[in-house]
Amino acid sequence: MIPYAARRLGWALFSAWVASIVAFVLFWAIPNVDPSFHLGGGQRGTDETRARAAEEYGLDDPLPVQYVRLMRGIVDGDVECFYGCGSLRTAFLDALPVTFWLVIGAGAIAIGTGVLLALVCVRHRGRWPDRAIMAAATMAYSVPSLVLAAVLWAFLANKWGIFPEEGYVGLTENPIEWFWHLLLPWIAAAMPFAGAYVQVVRSSLLHEVDADWVRTARAKGLSETRVMRRHVLRNGLIPPTNIWGLDFSHAFGGFALYVEVIFGLPGIGSLTAETLGGFDLPPIVGLAVYLAIVVVLANAVVDLIVVWLDPRLRRAGVAR
Amino acid sequence: MLAFLAAPLYADWVAHTTPSENHLTDRITIDGKQTDVVSLDGIPIGPTWGGSFFLGADENGRDVMVRVLYGGRASLVIGASAIALTLLCAIPLALVAGYFRGRTDALVSRLLDLIWSFPALLLGVLLSTAISLRGGQIGPFTITSGSKLIPIAVIGLVYVPYVARPLRGQVLALREQSFVEAARASGLGSVRLMVSELLPHLWSTILALAPLLFANAVVLEAALSFLGAGIDPPEPSFGTLIDAGVDNVALSPHLLLAPSIALVLVVLSLSGLSEGLRRTLDPHDKLALDVIHGQ
Repeated sequence: MIPYAARRLGWALFSAWVASIVAFVLFWAIPNVDPSFHLGGGQRGTDETRARAAEEYGLDDPLPVQYVRLMRGIVDGDVECFYGCGSLRTAFLDALPVTFWLVIGAGAIAIGTGVLLALVCVRHRGRWPDRAIMAAATMAYSVPSLVLAAVLWAFLANKWGIFPEEGYVGLTENPIEWFWHLLLPWIAAAMPFAGAYVQVVRSSLLHEVDADWVRTARAKGLSETRVMRRHVLRNGLIPPTNIWGLDFSHAFGGFALYVEVIFGLPGIGSLTAETLGGFDLPPIVGLAVYLAIVVVLANAVVDLIVVWLDPRLRRAGVAR
Repeated sequence: MLAFLAAPLYADWVAHTTPSENHLTDRITIDGKQTDVVSLDGIPIGPTWGGSFFLGADENGRDVMVRVLYGGRASLVIGASAIALTLLCAIPLALVAGYFRGRTDALVSRLLDLIWSFPALLLGVLLSTAISLRGGQIGPFTITSGSKLIPIAVIGLVYVPYVARPLRGQVLALREQSFVEAARASGLGSVRLMVSELLPHLWSTILALAPLLFANAVVLEAALSFLGAGIDPPEPSFGTLIDAGVDNVALSPHLLLAPSIALVLVVLSLSGLSEGLRRTLDPHDKLALDVIHGQ
C-alpha cells in the first residue's frame, strides 16, 4: 500500500508541475502574446505603462527565470487577486471550504440515491419499479446540471424566494442556514450524476446477483437482505467507486464553476469565473496552478481510497 | 427526435426574422387584439403559441423561438465539429499507442492520463481564455476572440482521452489476434495494417461512443458559453441564451425555460440514440461507456 501511495503522490505532484508549466506557457510565454500588453493596462495602456509593467514583472529576463519567479510568487501567496482584493492564496483558501462542502454534499446525495434506487431496481428487476426508475434515471441524466441549477435558482430562489438567492453560511456558524444555502446547489449538481449512477450500479449489481457465491449464500439459507448486503453490495460497489472517484475529483473544476456562479456561493468556482473575467495574467496563472494542485490531490486521495477498497488494483499502473 | 436534431438545419426557412433583429416597437395581433411585443415598461410578451413569436420575445423584442433555433444550430455545429476533431486526434493516437506498445504507448498513455486527470470544463475555460486573450494568428488559422473555432478546438481537444483510452485498449487486444499476424506475415506495412486491418474493427465502438460524446460536447459548450468562455452574446447558443434567461427570469420565465428545455431535449434524443446504437452494436455490453458522463 505504501509504495503505491508514494508512487501515486509522486505522479500527482508531477501532474501539478506539468500543469503549472502549461499554464505559464499558455498565458505568459507564447511568443504571440506580449504579457506587457495585458499587464500594462490592456487596450487602455500606453507604451509607458507597458514599459513599467515589463520592468515590474521582469519580462525581459529569460523565460525560466520568469517561470521560477512567478511560481514562487504564487506559492508564497504574493500574487494579488483581481481588483486588488489581497493575496490570491488567502482568497483561494477562504473559498476552498465552500466548494469542498458543495462537492461532498452533492457526492453523498448522488451516490446515496444512486445506490438506493439501484437496489430497488435489482430487487424488482424486469418489473415496473425497475423500468420506472430506469426511465427516470435517463431523464435525470439528460438534464445538465447547468440547466437544473439555472431553473432551480430562477424559480425557487429568485422568483418565489423560498431559498436564499446568494451567499453562504459556515457550517460552524449556523448549521441550519448552512444546509439551507447549500441544498439547492447540491440537488442541482447531484441529479445528473445520480441518474448515471443508478444505471452503473444497477448493471454492476446485476452482474453479481448471478454469481456463484451469491447462489451459495442463498443456498446456505441466508436471508435475502443479508445476501444483498454481504455478498451483492460488497462486490457490486467496487466498479462504481472508480467512476465516483474520477467524477468528484473533477468536480472542483467542473460543476463547481457554474453551480457556484448561479447560486452566488463564494467558492472556488466563483473566484475562477471572476478572475478569468478580469483578464489579469498573474492571478489567472496562479489560480490555474492552485486548481491543478487541488484537482490532482483530490484525484490521488480518491485513487488511494479506491485501491484501499480493492487491493487487486494495487498492482495496476500508477494512474490506472 | 430526428426532427428536433434537424430543426437547426431548417431554421432559415421557418424563421420570419433573423435572430438578432429587434421588434421593440412592433405590435402583433393576438385574439384580435393588438399587443406590444415589448410592453411600455419593458416586459416582453410570453409565448403566443402561433406564427411569429411562438415562444414569445426577449427584452429587445427578438423572437425567442428563432433565437433558440439558431442558438441550437450554433451549439450543434460546434458539438459536431468538436467531435470530428476529437476523433481525428484520438483514433491515430489510439492506433499508434496500441499497435507499437512499449515506449510509444507509455508516452501517449501518460499524456492522455495527464489531460484526463483534469476536468474538461476547467481545461476548456482556461484554454479558451488563453486563446481569446491572444486572438490573432495561430498557425494557419486567424482567430478572433468571438470565433466559433475556439470552442470547437477546445472541446475537441479536451475529449481526446475519453475516446483514445478505450480505443487503445481495444487495439491492444486486437493486435494479438491471428488475422493481424497473418497480415503482418504477408508483408503489410505498419500504417497499412493499422488502417486496413485494425481500424475497421474500431468503428462500432466509435459509433457507439459518438452520440454520447456529442451530447457531452453540446453540454460543455453551453457551460463554456455560460461562463463567458465560449460563444459571446449576442450571438445565440444554448449557453448564452440560458445565461440571458437567468438574468430576466422574474419577469419573463420563458426566456430561461425555452433554451433550457431545448437543450434537455437535444441531450435526451442523443442519449436515446446512443442507447439504441449501443444495444445494436454491443449486445453483450462489453463496452465500458461509464467513462464519459458528467462535466
